[in-house]
Amino acid sequence: MKIENEEALDDFIICHKCQTLHHEIPLRDGAMAYCSACGTMMYRYDSHLIDRGLALSITALIFFFVANFFPIVKIEILGHAQFITIPKTFLSLFEHGFYIVGIFCSFLIFIFPLGVFLLYLWIFTLLKLQRGERLTRRLLVLLSRSIPWSMSDIFLLSILVSLVKLIGYAQIEIGTAFWALVLFVAVDLYITKMIRISEIWMLHKRLFFPQGRGC
Amino acid sequence: MLEVDPKQLIRCPICEAVNIDKGKSNCCRRCESAIYHHRRFKTERSWAFLITAIIAYIPANLYPMLITKQFGMVEGSTIVGGVILLWEHGSYPIAVVIFFASIVIPVMKFFILLYLLISVKYPLGKERKVDKHKLYYMTEVVGPWSMVDVFVVAILSALIHLSNIQIVAGTAATAFAISVFFTLLAAHAFDERLIQESPYRF
Repeated sequence: MKIENEEALDDFIICHKCQTLHHEIPLRDGAMAYCSACGTMMYRYDSHLIDRGLALSITALIFFFVANFFPIVKIEILGHAQFITIPKTFLSLFEHGFYIVGIFCSFLIFIFPLGVFLLYLWIFTLLKLQRGERLTRRLLVLLSRSIPWSMSDIFLLSILVSLVKLIGYAQIEIGTAFWALVLFVAVDLYITKMIRISEIWMLHKRLFFPQGRGC
Repeated sequence: MLEVDPKQLIRCPICEAVNIDKGKSNCCRRCESAIYHHRRFKTERSWAFLITAIIAYIPANLYPMLITKQFGMVEGSTIVGGVILLWEHGSYPIAVVIFFASIVIPVMKFFILLYLLISVKYPLGKERKVDKHKLYYMTEVVGPWSMVDVFVVAILSALIHLSNIQIVAGTAATAFAISVFFTLLAAHAFDERLIQESPYRF
């Protein structure tokens, strides 16, 4: 196999699931490319990627704030009412002296989910303004390192599991923040599964180096 | 012009760019992050994390995960005990979820990572067509879901602390969280290049 220079490797893509090497083909707007070996979606071309990304990350941040400031669940046992919010879940672990689990939880359900969307917002804003080529790179690296550690979806399932455990012992009332969290997780799943990091890198290249890097 | 063997091309785990495998000091040409450049110790990092995770999984099963204090009675339940209790109470779906999240997924991950790490050194399963990339991808996707039990304990202990009834996290919660954390690190540290046979390359 012969190529012009290392830059020409950008015309190739390796499937993230089965490691098959593919030639990257230009797509029409909105189309997706699937791996021919395992059928995974590899990338797509979206001419409104920046606007869509900005809109989604702002939406997600709004839902995230609502999800954090309002109670997720209210329960009533023997006449005593209790409620939890997301910060209260990990702060109570600290109060009980479970520092290690407390630190894990605060990072996995608060700091990383928030950080990921602040990074998305920052990256898409920079791309929109077409500024900060090097900074965008740094942020993109940071973003792909943080995504695996953001576990809001798992936390949502855990809430459901613990509610089912409490059925019969307590009166349960689902709060505003629960629905906000559901919507946040929906946006989170959409953005991390449908917008692949490599698409943002391709966009980054198209924006900052329209004629190629020329090395 | 450059002559490249398609077998030499690797994918940057951070930005997914295609790179030429240059051996010792692989730096991604796009995002400049190091691509597994610890050549002299290929699997040792992953081994170390994996062994730590397996060790932490032992106390996670022996100590109570959840301690219920009810009118002066203190009762602890381990992971397995909790699943059995849920099953007996008739909440089968939740019992299945917890069983998968805290027992099946971690143990399966240990075995898959052990198998992958051993098969790097010894030609295991080379004749049989085991798709190791798929196995690895599966461990990466499914792995974080074992945190469910830790989160459930956190939620319950935050929610229920009345004067008469209290739920407190047990020692196992810490051990289990550490175990999951290190399996995730072990999976991230595993060098995908070491899975050499990739059946679909042209």
